[in-house]
Amino acid sequence: MPDAVLYPGSARAGSTPTFFWRNLALQSFVWLASLLIIGVFLWLLGDILWRGASRVDWEFLISVPKSAGRSGGIAPIIVSTVLILVVAIAVAFPLGLATAALLSEYARQGGAKVRGVGLSLDVLAGVPSIVFGLFGNAFFCVWMGLGFSILSGGLTLACMILPIVIRTAESGLRMVPDEWRLGAAALGVSRSTTIVRILIPAAAPALVAGLMLGIGRAMAETAALIFTSGYVDRMPRSVFDSGRAISVHIYDLTMNVAGGDPNAYGSALVLIALLIVINSAALWLANRALDRKPSRS
Amino acid sequence: MIREAALGLSFATLTLLAVTAFAAEEPSTAAPLSGQLTITGASTIAPLASEIGKRLEETNPDLRIDVQTGGSARGVADVRAGLAAIGLVSRNLKDDETDLTAFTIARDGVGIILNTDNPVSVLTDEQIVDIYLGKIANWKDVGGKDAPITVVNKAEGRSTLDLFTNYFKLKNSDIKASVVIGDNQQGIKTVAGNHNAIGYVSIGTAEFESEQGTPIKLLPLKGVAASVENVRNGTFSLARPLNLVVKAAPEGTVKSFIDFAQSKDVRDLVKEQFFVPLQ
Repeated sequence: MPDAVLYPGSARAGSTPTFFWRNLALQSFVWLASLLIIGVFLWLLGDILWRGASRVDWEFLISVPKSAGRSGGIAPIIVSTVLILVVAIAVAFPLGLATAALLSEYARQGGAKVRGVGLSLDVLAGVPSIVFGLFGNAFFCVWMGLGFSILSGGLTLACMILPIVIRTAESGLRMVPDEWRLGAAALGVSRSTTIVRILIPAAAPALVAGLMLGIGRAMAETAALIFTSGYVDRMPRSVFDSGRAISVHIYDLTMNVAGGDPNAYGSALVLIALLIVINSAALWLANRALDRKPSRS
Repeated sequence: MIREAALGLSFATLTLLAVTAFAAEEPSTAAPLSGQLTITGASTIAPLASEIGKRLEETNPDLRIDVQTGGSARGVADVRAGLAAIGLVSRNLKDDETDLTAFTIARDGVGIILNTDNPVSVLTDEQIVDIYLGKIANWKDVGGKDAPITVVNKAEGRSTLDLFTNYFKLKNSDIKASVVIGDNQQGIKTVAGNHNAIGYVSIGTAEFESEQGTPIKLLPLKGVAASVENVRNGTFSLARPLNLVVKAAPEGTVKSFIDFAQSKDVRDLVKEQFFVPLQ
């Protein structure tokens, strides 16, 4: 009975056909699962394209919303969204990178500091976004006196995406082989130069991945923004003005404005297009950083 | 012929006179408004208030009216805390809110809706109460199909919920809801997507959605059809005012906004949002 020796699991079942069927079942399940995932994705994208494409044209992108968003375009909303995103990334990325460098380069591995920071990050990453929204409203809008503004919204989002940015940057830095650190030390390169010139460029793909995850979460955010950057759909003059983010606009058009669905689909299509554009730009930047990686020169 | 012409001429003169008189009065009020006005509150009123604000901004380029949403309760709290100059409250003020003053800008009826697939076309007030209390849980008990009833209720803090529970003398904690929803359109979409659901939403939007082919229908209450017309003439009793509320006697920009929001100049905006303008 060589079969039983090779596949002990099939010995009790007693026959090769059972083994064959079990194998087939598992294989088809795996295929079905992946087909289902692709199907859901295509359905979603197709639905938005189908209903949104007729709405989106140049006019839609450059004109202001009319009649509570039922007609007109979404120009101020795109501008507000991008401004909120810029504030969030400008704050979260340097802070996140610095914290990641502390965790992976300066702090003792497995020490109380690393575990403490790690635990609080994981808890923060699991906090629902509406909680960040309420915190942002109480802290940035009221306590710091920033009011409903793009700045308040961006800072709230920065708090929200920090855990993702830090965790991915940290694991990226950790993946750089220790030989590089030792080699740099042997050549008398200072620690700060090692981090800036060697480790960060080497970890660039992971940093960009973290950035993209952060941007994705930030762009899709509604709950954290409706109480911080607000509901005003006018063209913002500065980051101190209230500005409506695109996901807040989509939410309002579908849930609050009767007859707003067509423009909600159009806005959803623009949101997806924006995400693709921003992610491609981030990838391009990562590739450029990779080209400058010391290993290649 | 001549008399008609004379009449037309005198009419024109009258109008001209009226316009001059109006213009003479203008300088006191026509000084362009400026500054920033923050308004927060009911999500139902927020789109209307935004549109009114934009129209007022058109003639006053230095004025900025920022409208934020979040619910009537938030409107009351923000006005009290001084975070907003005007609050949006889509119900009558409560007994413990006498520190505030309300200015009604429009009315909104709330109607019971069912899916068009549901053969039930009339429900008495008692039946509606029993459905929401869970005493009637199957449509066959009220003359419908043998199917369980999906009760759609509004979330705590929503004015439509207060209006509904007040009218039917229900306590929210006694309601056996299958689905709890937030904004108005969510109610319409929930009932449109579930053949056995019952919910309550703004009549104006329900009429519009139903004309657009959304599979929902409005039920009459006490024999009165749930229509915008019946809300306007006051015969439909499940209705509410849409209010602007302020803490102190309005003056300056606040007063200008309230006056403008109550004027005929914005009647088309009120209708555009499917609400009922004041007489």
